[in-house]
Amino acid sequence: MTARVALAVALAVGAIAPRPVRAAAPEPLPARLAGRGGELFASVDLSAVFAPSLERQLGNGLTNVVAVWVAIVPEGGGEAVALYGRVVEILFDVWEETYTVVVKDARAPGGARTVLRDFAALRRFLSDERDLDMGLVSELPSGRFVVEARVEVNPVSKEQLQRTREYIANPPATGRPGGSGGSRSFLGAVASFLLREPDPGTGVHRLRSRPFARAEVAAR
Amino acid sequence: MSARLAGAARRAAGALRFSRFELKIALALVIAATLPLLGALLLAGRVAEENLSLGLDPRVVQRLEGIPSLYGDLFQARKQLYAEQARALARGLPRNRSAANAYLASSLERTPRLRRVTWFGRDGRIIAEAETETPNPEGEWREAPARVALPRGGRLECVFAIEARFFAEVNEARELAELVQGVDVLRSEIRRSYVRAFGVLLVAWAAGAAAVGIWLARRTTRRLSALLLAVRRLAAGDLNVQVDPGRGTDEVAGLARAFNAMVREVRESRDRIVYLEKISGWQEVARRLAHEIKNPLTPMKLAFQQLEARWKTSPARASDAGFEQLLGDAGEIVREEIGTLQRLVDEFSGFAKLPEVRPEPADLGEFADEFLRTSPQIREAADVELVRASGACPVALDKALMRRVLANLASNAVEAARPGRASVHLGVSRTRDRAVLTVSDEGPGVDRALRARIFDPYFTTKGSGTGLGLAIVKKIVLQHGGEIEAGERPGGGASFTIALPLRATGPDAPGAPAPR
Ligand SMILES: Nc1ncnc2c1ncn2[C@@H]1O[C@H](COP(=O)(O)OP(=O)(O)O)[C@@H](O)[C@H]1O
Ligand SMILES: [Mg+2]
Repeated sequence: MTARVALAVALAVGAIAPRPVRAAAPEPLPARLAGRGGELFASVDLSAVFAPSLERQLGNGLTNVVAVWVAIVPEGGGEAVALYGRVVEILFDVWEETYTVVVKDARAPGGARTVLRDFAALRRFLSDERDLDMGLVSELPSGRFVVEARVEVNPVSKEQLQRTREYIANPPATGRPGGSGGSRSFLGAVASFLLREPDPGTGVHRLRSRPFARAEVAAR
Repeated sequence: MSARLAGAARRAAGALRFSRFELKIALALVIAATLPLLGALLLAGRVAEENLSLGLDPRVVQRLEGIPSLYGDLFQARKQLYAEQARALARGLPRNRSAANAYLASSLERTPRLRRVTWFGRDGRIIAEAETETPNPEGEWREAPARVALPRGGRLECVFAIEARFFAEVNEARELAELVQGVDVLRSEIRRSYVRAFGVLLVAWAAGAAAVGIWLARRTTRRLSALLLAVRRLAAGDLNVQVDPGRGTDEVAGLARAFNAMVREVRESRDRIVYLEKISGWQEVARRLAHEIKNPLTPMKLAFQQLEARWKTSPARASDAGFEQLLGDAGEIVREEIGTLQRLVDEFSGFAKLPEVRPEPADLGEFADEFLRTSPQIREAADVELVRASGACPVALDKALMRRVLANLASNAVEAARPGRASVHLGVSRTRDRAVLTVSDEGPGVDRALRARIFDPYFTTKGSGTGLGLAIVKKIVLQHGGEIEAGERPGGGASFTIALPLRATGPDAPGAPAPR
């Protein structure tokens, strides 16, 4: 699968498209690449992003979303030659005390559901991105390249944007106790129409692996 | 087809082309409409922000986000309580099986929310169990299990009830918290979107104001442009130009009416001058002709009289009866033709020597009345009636010349009715500033195509006509400062309308207008 197709599919998942972010030095990314039957698989370790301190946030009983983009980029920079994207929805069940995780990616646009016992298991699940399909080895650039990852914690999703639009267009009826739903507001309707996605905020992490050469991959 | 399209396109382009005046008015309206709103736009951002922070107090957001954890704590406490109760039950469990059954059954009543309790033996078989049938006092419930391993092997499994509503509540709280969280994250975007919405509405409002402004401006400027165009055409010499003043009563409409009146007056006085110049040329011709014809007439008459006198005394008279007859006939012809020529000469010189108009104050109605009373020959030749539609019609008249006008018109009517007897209708009325005299008949009328020419001198359709009658009429009328027009009498016949300026009748009004 080419980077372009992967991107298109990821967009179709209805999640979050990667947006340009203010350049900050990326963190180091432990990564392994393997070629199997001419296809390239990447395994990356994102544990730097998912620190144990995230337990409070991810275990708060609300739906948390983690978007992960892994790309192969020529070392000198330029357009990604391969791109993998996944969106993970995490919900901590306060009764069962387990994490329910729904993963959406090109292979499972509808989402694949997993239940994890505790935060340690969740952390392993999120950090250890194993055997990501990065397309064909033959499409790798001839020069050196790096694996880049971009992780967004709780980005504004399309659904969230949509929900907020509805909220603005039908603001909760104030001064009408028991007023169900809300009242239609003209200004709100126009405003909701003009509501845009915000710039990615603080929850964005960028990571970058050491440079690889094509020969390293093919050898294995 | 394509030409029509092109025409429509040109019209559309014309409708979109704005004059500077229109743009100025539209701009003024836009400024007036939007200036206060611009201030409001500045406020809108703050209002949106303040509203949002009122609705989205960060403490409220935090509390909402914390609700699922609170339920988590509640669940935790319940689980601990249930585990503790299960342990207590296990401690008091008798070894004896039937006693255990009774113990478990009574524990159901003693332990709140306990629904079922089962003692499993070491081998996993059920040794004793009890289950309550009474409905849970707290309504719908879900199972909350609690297991205790027994020190002598086997285990005690308890099933407690936990209120089902907690789960619904935690879900509801979660959804609400997620929504509010989203709105909170988007807070600054929302504020911006409100400002943008306000801006969009403002632009729409300004566009509306501009459209209304242009529409209003156009109603005036279109008339001003029409006036400007008319003035240009007038300057280029077109005296037939008129503008539509519309039904309005504003200054522009007044200007248009004044312009129309001015153009009409200029055109009429020009027509008058042109006509009078033409007439005086023809009068000169008539004077010469009359002179040339009149001079030989007398010698001709005398010569023939001599011839006749000589013949009366001639001896050959008795023998030549044939010549006598011939001479008699010839004499008759010569005298008749000379008579005709004499009349022609009289008419020509009458036309040539038309006197200057000397108007005196008079009433047009009374004048018409008097004319009829003193013109028996007309009443003999035709049935004449006079209708005076309005009271006083003060005008300045040269009565003698005006009588000629009426006489000429009447004799035309009489001639047109031949061989029948003519019916002549005289009418006197007045408009705001004119006295109107109409002379109409029930004859064949004047052909529309000829109406422009009948006032020309020497234009006649009659074998023995001179074509001078109406020329004289028109000259006299024009010299009175009036106009004459040929038209049609409703019901058939010719109708001549003479309009004369009304004489001001105030104490200090000037008497008669100066002759033209
Ligand atoms: N009352 C009338 N009815 C019909 N035609 C008329 C009438 N008055 C004038 N005309 C037309 O106008 C022409 C010019 O009239 P006028 O100037 O009086 O000359 P004339 O009477 O010598 O022909 C007439 O020949 C006739 O064709
Ligand atoms: Mg005549």
